[in-house]
Amino acid sequence: MSASKPTASPASHADELVESESLVEEVSIDGMCGVY
Amino acid sequence: MDLDLAWDLHPQVSVRPEPFGALLYHFGTRKLSFLKDRTLLTVVENLATSPSVRTACTAAGVGEAELPRYETALEALVRSSMLVERE
Repeated sequence: MSASKPTASPASHADELVESESLVEEVSIDGMCGVY
Repeated sequence: MDLDLAWDLHPQVSVRPEPFGALLYHFGTRKLSFLKDRTLLTVVENLATSPSVRTACTAAGVGEAELPRYETALEALVRSSMLVERE
């Protein structure tokens, strides 16, 4: 008897979604002192 | 974003590669964007010589399954004016 291995778990799918949202992160330096 | 159109980096954007990906700085808006993926950096670098976003992604090794993830990232760069549609 052999158990079939799932191809993708809900957890790994969730990880992919989180990763896709964090490929780009934006920051504004407007108003920061001592930057220029 | 239409993946079959050509997009370029805004002329006022400077790119600095980093071990984690890259830093993009827009001199006009004073915004910084962190690219947290080296493949995304390659896609952005490929845009200048590619006839479309899709070909830039393919040349960077992005597969069909990963394409939506990179499209989302590129759309974020469009919203922050880092990328502009080629005229």
